Amino acid sequence: MIASKKIVLIGHFGVGKTSLIRRFVENTFSEDYKVTIGVHISKKTLELSEDQSVSFIIWDLEGQDDIKKTRVSYLLGTHAFIYVFDLSRPSTFENLKSEINYLHENYSKIPLKVVGNKVDLVNKEYLTQYNDEFDDLVDLFVSAKNGSRVESLFSKLAKELI
Amino acid sequence: MNQDEKLSIIKDILLTDEREFTSSIEKKIKSLEKTINEKEKLSGKVDPIIDDKLNNFIKEIPKTLGPTITKTLKEEIKNSQDAVVEALFPIIGKMIKRYIQHEMKLLSDKINTQVNNTFSFKGIFRKAKSKASGVNESDLILQELSNTKIEQVIIIEKGSGIVLAEFSKNITTDEDMVAGMLTAIKSFVEDAFKKESQNLQHIDYDLYHIHLQNFSSFYIAVVISGAYNIIYQDKLEDKILDFTSKQKVSDILNNKTLINQKLEDFFNDDSI
Repeated sequence: MIASKKIVLIGHFGVGKTSLIRRFVENTFSEDYKVTIGVHISKKTLELSEDQSVSFIIWDLEGQDDIKKTRVSYLLGTHAFIYVFDLSRPSTFENLKSEINYLHENYSKIPLKVVGNKVDLVNKEYLTQYNDEFDDLVDLFVSAKNGSRVESLFSKLAKELI
Repeated sequence: MNQDEKLSIIKDILLTDEREFTSSIEKKIKSLEKTINEKEKLSGKVDPIIDDKLNNFIKEIPKTLGPTITKTLKEEIKNSQDAVVEALFPIIGKMIKRYIQHEMKLLSDKINTQVNNTFSFKGIFRKAKSKASGVNESDLILQELSNTKIEQVIIIEKGSGIVLAEFSKNITTDEDMVAGMLTAIKSFVEDAFKKESQNLQHIDYDLYHIHLQNFSSFYIAVVISGAYNIIYQDKLEDKILDFTSKQKVSDILNNKTLINQKLEDFFNDDSI
């Protein structure tokens, strides 16, 4: 049985949402930065067991500095959110708490994964330095560049959605 | 006659043959030197051999180099598709233009035949239909001539864009991706105009028209090839309404297999 699920990736400009999807869907990575305009849709089916698969319909939304500016109609019918920020750029996570609160308040029933991307660019000391800001909000530190924990992010999400 | 003179005479007698032989070799060497040093003479000797070898080589190319050339060309085309498109575009463009000109001529001939039959029953009926519907008679003729076909029908959940059911004749696109993009376009357009009661009704894409019809929790996208005018749109709307009410689609939205079957049974026939 295949269950189709709409996943929406949100976050600031240039945090690596598209790269994360490309790593998950195509297992590729490119250093070229091409800004996403509007929305881009991808699809990947993940097999959980012999008789259970999840087909992710992934909506890659254009980056917004403020989550409130995101087009609400794009978020309708979402089965899960992935909020992505760039670990190497503090400006992309300085308002993390308020952004996550906004999602909890407006989409309380929808599962959310908060992901710090570009973990390959920072070290442990750096992460410790910002520990207070990440608090308990962050689910995973990933790297679209080397693929670290990308598959695990989507696998966890798939299991939660079934 | 002294000893030396005698010896000289004996030498002449004994070495005459050798001298002649040496002289003939000298002549041959001079001739060879001339042949090698003079381009025209050398080419006269060598060219036929090279030509012969070249001819054989050309004859053998398909066997020896053919597979390598084909493989290299295939790889080059695959790796530089944009460049190939750039190079072929003017040629293919001309071919398509010529083809369209030919088809337009055929179409024009057919229309002339139809128009000439003005006083036939069909012609009078068409005129009446044109007046009643407000659609140009020429549009009606074009619709009669063009073979309007339903290529794909997708039932899509509103908001999420998830495919609830799908029926397709020939189209091989991924219905999940199409449904997602249609939903995103619909959301964008409807958001941009900020009028909740208004909906995007159709999208033209290449050779296809995508008719969109909204219901409370889902919408139906019908991909059509051929002429799509107001009369066809009207009939198609009726057909979709007929399908949703007769098949009680709202009640069976959770049963994808059942709706898929019903879609196929209902829309397999192009008549509307």
